[in-house]
Amino acid sequence: MTRTLWHDHDWHLIHTAPQSPALHMALDEVLTHEVGAGHRPPTLRVWEWAAPAVVIGRFQSLRNEVDAEAARSHGIEVVRRVSGGGAMFIEPGNTITWSIYAPLSLIKGMSFQEAYAWMDAWTLEALGELGIKAWYQPLNDITSEGGKIAGAAQAHRGGAVLHHVTMAYDIDAAKMLQVLRIGREKLSDKGTQSAAKRVDPLRSQTGLSRAAIIDHMIATFRRLHGLAEDTLSPAELAEAAELARGKFSREEWTADVA
Amino acid sequence: MHGEYKMPGGKLVVVDLQVREGCLRGVQVSGDFFLEPDEALHAIDAALEGQSADADEHLLAAAIRAKLAPGVMMYGISPEAIAVAVRRAIDPHLAHQGRDA
Repeated sequence: MTRTLWHDHDWHLIHTAPQSPALHMALDEVLTHEVGAGHRPPTLRVWEWAAPAVVIGRFQSLRNEVDAEAARSHGIEVVRRVSGGGAMFIEPGNTITWSIYAPLSLIKGMSFQEAYAWMDAWTLEALGELGIKAWYQPLNDITSEGGKIAGAAQAHRGGAVLHHVTMAYDIDAAKMLQVLRIGREKLSDKGTQSAAKRVDPLRSQTGLSRAAIIDHMIATFRRLHGLAEDTLSPAELAEAAELARGKFSREEWTADVA
Repeated sequence: MHGEYKMPGGKLVVVDLQVREGCLRGVQVSGDFFLEPDEALHAIDAALEGQSADADEHLLAAAIRAKLAPGVMMYGISPEAIAVAVRRAIDPHLAHQGRDA
């Protein structure tokens, strides 16, 4: 396998109507597999959320990370994703999330740290065009002078890399802190006292609507790497719907790390 | 019993366990780290299961390393960081003494 560049690939865009949290988890698994198997061209998928959710990382403890009672009382679904990293608190209008599914050749020979920065070089450029001076803070955060903007996670599966990012557009920090248990140890080397203060969302930094930021991000990706409009195939959607039901909505998966 | 350790420049490692008859039981390692392939987490838990509660960090880290399949990749976590979290779970006062790694 030789290293490939962004321009060596025919990038496709999927940006559909809002979908459930469990279906989003399942689509990441299905589309990573499809790209790895060569059944689908490398793809950028922009997520639209149908419901609020807490998305915990592959290796996080469900009971340690989430106050289940608070999540229930706020009507927030808790799902576990296929990649590592930390919990995300999602409300549909408050976050901007996307996944990139690419052949592993795109990051061949790179350290983890290099691969994260490489997969988000276009993101930093797009943010710069919006007037935000942003940079990568290893291991997997995108930050700015005002504070953290986004978190990224990667997973390798069968010849493909999944790289997904969630950016904070706006945030209800009080609600987040009711639902997520964020301990002091996690913040011990961050130089800040609270998780809420760490995040400076895009709404306050740009004054733009969420949709306008998404349009701009897509336009930047298209200009830098090329991007053709695409949709989920009926087979991809059916497989993901089945996985959402049979795996990602089930306790066996969500509480796999109890 | 519960221990946490934020690896400097890395991610949070959390360990929940019990000690029965001087041995570690029901060990669960968790956190916001990255691990490929994901099944390696179960190998790490299994490596710690049954270890002596007196085992030091060096020994615990070696036990984890010995159980990891070739090609396992860790990002933001290491056998040594997991061992620190295990010791903190067993001896909670360690967490208040600052960096003891």
